[in-house]
Parts: sequence; C-alpha cells; structure tokens
Amino acid sequence: MKKEKNTQVNEESQEIERFNIIFRIQHVIMFTTFLLLAFTGWGLKYAELKDVSSWWIRIWGGPKTAGIIHRTAGITMLLDFAFHVIYVGYLLFTGRMKIRKETTVIPLPKDVVDVVHNFLYFIGIAKTKPKFGRFSYAQKFDYWAVFWGMFVIGISGLCLAFPVQASIFFPEWTTAWIWQLIAVMHSDEALLAIVFILFWHFYNEHLKPEVFPMSWVWLTGRISLKEMKQKHPLEYELMIKEKSE
Amino acid sequence: MVKRISILFCFLLLLPVFAHAEDISGCIVCHNVMAGKIDFNGKVIDLNVDAKRFETSVHGAFACTECHERFHENPHVPPDSQVTPEVERLSEEVALKAKADPVALAACSKCHNEEYRDVIDSVHGKNIVEEGKSDGALCLDCHGSAHYITKSTDKDSPVNKWKVVDTCGRCHGKEELAKKYGIEANVMKSYFESFHGKKHILGHKRAPTCVNCHGYHAIKSKDDPTSPVFGTNKIKTCGKCHKGANKKFVAAITHKEPGPIPHYAEKGLIILTISVIAFTVLHVLLEAYSDLRDVLFRRRKEVEHEEGKEYSG
Repeated sequence: MKKEKNTQVNEESQEIERFNIIFRIQHVIMFTTFLLLAFTGWGLKYAELKDVSSWWIRIWGGPKTAGIIHRTAGITMLLDFAFHVIYVGYLLFTGRMKIRKETTVIPLPKDVVDVVHNFLYFIGIAKTKPKFGRFSYAQKFDYWAVFWGMFVIGISGLCLAFPVQASIFFPEWTTAWIWQLIAVMHSDEALLAIVFILFWHFYNEHLKPEVFPMSWVWLTGRISLKEMKQKHPLEYELMIKEKSE
Repeated sequence: MVKRISILFCFLLLLPVFAHAEDISGCIVCHNVMAGKIDFNGKVIDLNVDAKRFETSVHGAFACTECHERFHENPHVPPDSQVTPEVERLSEEVALKAKADPVALAACSKCHNEEYRDVIDSVHGKNIVEEGKSDGALCLDCHGSAHYITKSTDKDSPVNKWKVVDTCGRCHGKEELAKKYGIEANVMKSYFESFHGKKHILGHKRAPTCVNCHGYHAIKSKDDPTSPVFGTNKIKTCGKCHKGANKKFVAAITHKEPGPIPHYAEKGLIILTISVIAFTVLHVLLEAYSDLRDVLFRRRKEVEHEEGKEYSG
C-alpha cells in the first residue's frame, strides 16, 4: 500500500516519507502497549516460579496494579488496532491509498517465490536477492502477525477481562471447556507473539548489519532513495515510472 | 473475729487466682523440659510444651486443665477426674482422632461450640464420627497444636490466607486419598494453574483460596446439595466476587480435567507455535549468516545489486 506523494526524486541522498505521522503514532502505541502486556503478562503466565514471578510482579506494582496495567494496555492496543483498520479503510475509500501489486501489504503469490528465492540467496545458490516491493514478505508477515494476534489474543483477552459479560455470548454446550480454551489461546499465542517479535522483528529492524542499532523509520518516517532502491526496488521503479509519465 | 473472717474471705477471693497460677506453673515445670517422644498406645506423642509459644498463643492464659479435664489432680495420679458431660460424650465420638487425650480434643467445643458442630456435620466430621475413619480434618489438623494456636490472620497460622491452600493440600494433594474417596485428584494442580491460583501465588489479596468457595468448618462434599459449590449454589458463591454471575458463567471454574477440545486445541497451538518459531529462527539464522557473508566478502555484489541487475531464482 502506498500513499501518493508529490516528491522530487532527483538526488539519491533525498528522502521520501514512508510512514506518515498517523501511522508512526499507531506504531508507537502498538509497541508500548505490547511491551507492557508482555512484561505484566509474563509474571502471571509463569506464576508457578513463585519467587521470581512475585518479585517481577512487585516491580510492576504488585498483582493488582499489574492487572490494571495489563487490562489498560490491552484495551488501548485493541483501540489502536481498530483505529488502524478504520484509518486504512478511510485511505482506501478516499483513493489516497491504492492497492497495487508493487506497494500492497496483501500477500501475493510472488511472496512465496521470494521466500524460496531468498533462502537460495542465503545459502549461496542464487546470486542476487529477490526484488521486493514496498513491503517484503518478511514485513508482510510481521504486519499480518499482528492481525492474527489481535484476533486470537485480543478476543480471548477481552473474555478473560470481562468473564461474566463474555459468558452471555457462549452457548450452553460450550461452557464446560470454553474457558480453558480461552486461557490456553491467550497464553500460548502471547508466548508465540513475544518469541516472534524477539527473533523476527528484532533481527530485521534492529540487529541486521545495515540497520543496527535500529531502523529509524519508526521515528522519522523517512527513507532515503538509496535505501529505497536497495530494499524496495519495485516500489522505487514504480515511483520513477509514475513520475516520468 | 470479724476482722479474721474478713481476711479469710479476702484470701478466698484470691484463691482461684492462685490455683490458676499454680496449675500452669505446676504442669509446665516438668512439661516444658521434656526431651524426646514417647510411645502411647501405638502413637508417638510429644509430652513437651514450649511454654513461651504457649503463652503467646490465643489460649496462653488458660489453665492446662481447662482442656485436659481428666488431669485435675496434680502431680500425676491416674487421670480420672470428673469431665463435663457434653465434652465426655463428644470425646468418645472423636476419640480416634486424638493422639493421647480425647477429652482435650473435645474440650474445644466448650468455647467453640458452633464451630465444632459445623465440623462434626461437615464432610470431614461425618467421615470421622459416622464412618469411623481417621481421615477427615478435626480442629488440630488445620489449626495445628492447640498449645500454639494463633489468630487466623497471624503470619504463622496454618489457616491464614497465604498458608491455608498448602494446609488443605497436605491431604487433598495426595493421590491415595483422592482414589480412596473418589474425589478429584488434581485439585491442587488445577487451582495453581487457574487464574485464581496464579494470582494467589503472586500475592493478590482478593484472589480466592480453597475456603472462599468451599467454606471451612462446615465444608461439604461437592455432591451435597448444601455445598456452596453444588449445582446452582455456585451462582451465589461465584457472585460474591463476580457480580452478575449466571449459570453459564459459573461453569468456568472447575477442578475437572479439561475436556478433549481444549486439550487438542492446545496441542494444535503448540504445533503452530513451534513451526512458526522454527521457521523464524531458521530464517533469521540463515539471513544473519548471509548478511555477515555479504558484509565481509561480497561488497562487490552489493554494488551490482544497487545497479539494478535482474534477479534470478
């Protein structure tokens, strides 16, 4: 997905805006609440490690306060997510964002080809890296992982936070096992999300040699044309083509 | 003469005080310094009483004979003093729970009559009195030795909020007991895995322990219609904390093993988690290897790539 921008594209040192301020704020809220949720939830998930967990939870103000932090952060994250969906919908509806194969975040068959291609490059068989659009498959994976997390962890979290209200929606025949299922979903998928972020996101946006210590796009929202040509060549080519028309 | 009588009268008034003081100190003189244990009718008993701990306990001001009614003569003569009739009768009912002195065990009822009746009518008490079995908690099993009982809010009390779960678990954590009486075997495990139990471990003051749902002195079997966790009674019990609790909601809290659906859902989620992590880790490691390789040995290739060479895969 790409926001149309009137940008001069003459100099390689020039920068263009990759994420506008509204997207950047969404991202800051997302990772702040994510960290708070992970930190406070970890103590509860591994409560059986009595000494370590109760020490850790005391750092967060004791079990009651940690619970309030966890619920507040969870609801904030869900609102942030809802806002994102509405905002992207609005951009699409008004035509300020168009769905193109070079710029979309929607997974396409090419992404599967790119995965294979990239693995071949890793082990030295392919001589060049795959050419990515605005979002590489890694970034698409990162993006949609949040949707999966919101769906599984968010909904189960709401049920756990408001169990009496949630129980109204469950049919009678599910009551014997639904709560165990919800607890398992919330806890296991949270673990998956944390491990995923720790490996995938941290490597790609922090540890990779060309971005270490971190990619600054989250803060500035800007990317140099040089970097764009290197990392998102298809988007760059599309932009040049549109400019010349 | 009048003066003499009045002095004598004053002395008589003081007599109970002396008698009391003499009673404790008289017994404790020996029973505070007794080392080791003795075999009494096949039970190993400890005749020593830690005077300091006894004095700081809630019963510290009592004379020994308040509870050990048979031992009215001091020092030892055969214990055959007159016992309060109700205590005598109760002592016969609970005799099999007593290590040495059933009268002392029954004597709790002199002050704690209501609680004692509750216990005798409870699932614990009925197992003792009606079934004649020694399983089933009586006063001392939960509260500890009568000599050292402290307030239930005291940090050392075995029935305080932070210790009562372990106290129940001393029996209910045993598989043999569960098998013997056909009761749920994983009550402790399922409690500690539940949100209630986890919060309790972490020190949440409002997290419920066993007694908040099941009751304490008057505890009943979950199959007993008067139990707070029987059928629809749960609506009221859960509703103490969860306002608006309804029939569908209260089904959430159970010690039963989770059914097949959560079990296989968990297995599925674990497989998903492991596959995603495996893919992620493999990808990251290979990419890290190729990044290092490029940085160290392939500067030239990067330049080529920048010039927009076609890619091949």
